[in-house]
Amino acid sequence: MSQTLSLSQTTLDAVDRFRARKVSVEVEARPLSAELPTPTSFNPAARKAYYFYLMAPAIALLAFISLYPFFWLIVMAFQKGDMGAVEWVGFKNFTDLASDGRFLSGWVLLFKYSAMCLFLQVGIGVLLAVIVNGSRYEKFLVTALLMPMMMAPAVAGLLWLFLYNGTFGWYHWIFQSLGILETGSILSSAKTSMYALVLVDVWQWTPLITLIALAGLKRVPRDQMEANMVDGASPARNFFAIVMPNLYPVLLIAVLLRFMDNFRFIDHILVLTGGGPANSTKILPIYLFEVAFKFFDLGRGAAIALVLLVVTIILGKILVGVFDRPTSGGR
Amino acid sequence: MATVTIRNVWKYYNQTPAVKDLNLTCPDGSFVSILGPSGCGKSSTMRMLAGLEHISAGDILFDDVRINDLAPKDRDVAMVFENYALYPHKTVFENIANPLRLRKASEATIKDRVNGAAKLLEISHLLDRRPSELSGGQKQRVAIGRAIVREPKLFLFDEPIAHLDAKLRAHMRGEIKHLQKTLGTTMIYVTHDQLEALSMADYIAVMHDGELQQWGTPSEIFNHPVNAWVAGFVGEPAMNFVTAEIRGGGDGVTLKHANFEIPLLASQVGKLNGAAQAGTARMGVRPDALTISMTRPDGPAITGVIFVNELLGGDMLVEVQLQDVRMRVKTSTDFAGKPGETCWLTVNREKWHVFDAGDGHAYF
Ligand SMILES: Nc1ncnc2c1ncn2[C@@H]1O[C@H](COP(=O)(O)OP(=O)(O)OP(=O)(O)O)[C@@H](O)[C@H]1O
Ligand SMILES: [Mg+2]
Repeated sequence: MSQTLSLSQTTLDAVDRFRARKVSVEVEARPLSAELPTPTSFNPAARKAYYFYLMAPAIALLAFISLYPFFWLIVMAFQKGDMGAVEWVGFKNFTDLASDGRFLSGWVLLFKYSAMCLFLQVGIGVLLAVIVNGSRYEKFLVTALLMPMMMAPAVAGLLWLFLYNGTFGWYHWIFQSLGILETGSILSSAKTSMYALVLVDVWQWTPLITLIALAGLKRVPRDQMEANMVDGASPARNFFAIVMPNLYPVLLIAVLLRFMDNFRFIDHILVLTGGGPANSTKILPIYLFEVAFKFFDLGRGAAIALVLLVVTIILGKILVGVFDRPTSGGR
Repeated sequence: MATVTIRNVWKYYNQTPAVKDLNLTCPDGSFVSILGPSGCGKSSTMRMLAGLEHISAGDILFDDVRINDLAPKDRDVAMVFENYALYPHKTVFENIANPLRLRKASEATIKDRVNGAAKLLEISHLLDRRPSELSGGQKQRVAIGRAIVREPKLFLFDEPIAHLDAKLRAHMRGEIKHLQKTLGTTMIYVTHDQLEALSMADYIAVMHDGELQQWGTPSEIFNHPVNAWVAGFVGEPAMNFVTAEIRGGGDGVTLKHANFEIPLLASQVGKLNGAAQAGTARMGVRPDALTISMTRPDGPAITGVIFVNELLGGDMLVEVQLQDVRMRVKTSTDFAGKPGETCWLTVNREKWHVFDAGDGHAYF
């Protein structure tokens, strides 16, 4: 026989030893009727203690730059007068608000403004995201969409001030040509001024919703959409059954961001209308700005700010509750 | 129920072809298995049948109606996906009920059908869970459930039981086959497990590298492979291949190798065409077409040295070293040979094959 055939003696010995080894398998069967043992240990929760140490420096810094002023805000809300002579007035600043017509109408206008903005931004934003997603020009479109967002809100306000201008404004001209606007300029009519502000906000911030929704669309599992299609779903049905449940969590973040921004970003409003005409755009944050920094009634301003803050927190909680339905993966 | 015709179908992903000029006709009510190794284009074919993938060239017909441009929902097929594709936010019940709901079945029908399917698949106790709380095999059964609650024109099963344990797999093989025969629905069943294909299918399409290698009944595929690739892919343990020289002599034609010289049967000589008479060829013998003995038998035999013995439950598999290759022989467990000892293999020449050394096509 040729050389390849001769197996070394050690290999053969190893094989023999392997074959000759004594294998004893002793399995004691548990009778089927026997009681199941109770578990003595459960899956451990993730260890999170070290999170605290990692976060501690950031928390300390935050406390210094944000908690300290916040503390002063609370103190001021119970005082009257400016920096010089202060006087403790208890809850008077708060009780006074109940009879303050501007304060109450500020709320109404704020909700109107925010609701319109959110509705349009989410609607248009998701629609744009669906259009952009998978398009051949996706990269270019995303870049183009980003541009309004990159602009400082006050600058955006100035830009639109020109566009709305009653003598040379482009939009003024369009709306008048279309017959939507009869007389006067867009911003100086109490009927149109609010919509003009909404349009600016929608123009500037819809892209943010689009971007976030686009990220959401990217993680919609394709196989589920395909399975649903084979199961007999139309494209529209597929969108609401598979895409939307996957989009809810990211939309929550977008809506939360935008709604809180609506409650505090007033740059473009200050530039465009300053709350006018005839208080038709005096949403609460504008009123707050006036009370605190035009009339220097710091106590009352602080009280308004605190109420605004509490309402924002409550609304935020409700929003999270509404959106936090079981979605992918979880129960 | 439908006859499915695949005519000159190509699938390109960008520039790479995944399916090349595929032609198949699956008769109405038949169980067709597409068998092939990973990446040979099985899933691509299925996805084109379901309408999830654009057909690069060629036509697919259901009952002589061209369906190339039909949306998936209008094709009336039910598919089991390779990766389950369950809906994570729905319970198992709702997952299975989905095709019925989308087709507006009544609540009573839905309950009835879903419970029936769950019972068949032994997942009745899981109906309230969500997919994230299931094991791989359980998910797979839910995916099968979703396909069988309806009575579609065509079933497309893409490796539906690959993740089950051996016992459950054997059970499911029977259930799926029985279900298909009871419903009489045409079934296209993708698998890379040749045992599954051989045991379940009426017809097998063997694919390799996007090309159809052979179409035939399980016994045709197993007993008369058209080329060496099919012969090597089908059968477990795999067929032995030995490259040998074809010698034409006075008393017939023989296969000559350092370890043997075996004459062809008279009926087989004619099947070798003239070109192969003097060249080399590849001999193919399945392990169970060989008989091993420790003494020199009468007649032509292969001489070798036992390399190792493997016990396979009821059988013993012996690996025998020849000069350049090893051959595997199936024998009974009382075989007494030891590694290192010389042995002789007798070939059952009714069951051996000779393939062309070049393109590998089978002479017989
Ligand atoms: N979306 C895709 N884009 C590019 N190439 C693809 C795509 N899908 C599949 N391919 C390629 O096409 C070939 C066939 O893939 P296919 O999924 O049909 O294989 P398969 O036979 O189902 O394999 P498996 O048994 O592993 O599931 C592979 O080479 C794969 O890399
Ligand atoms: Mg596949």
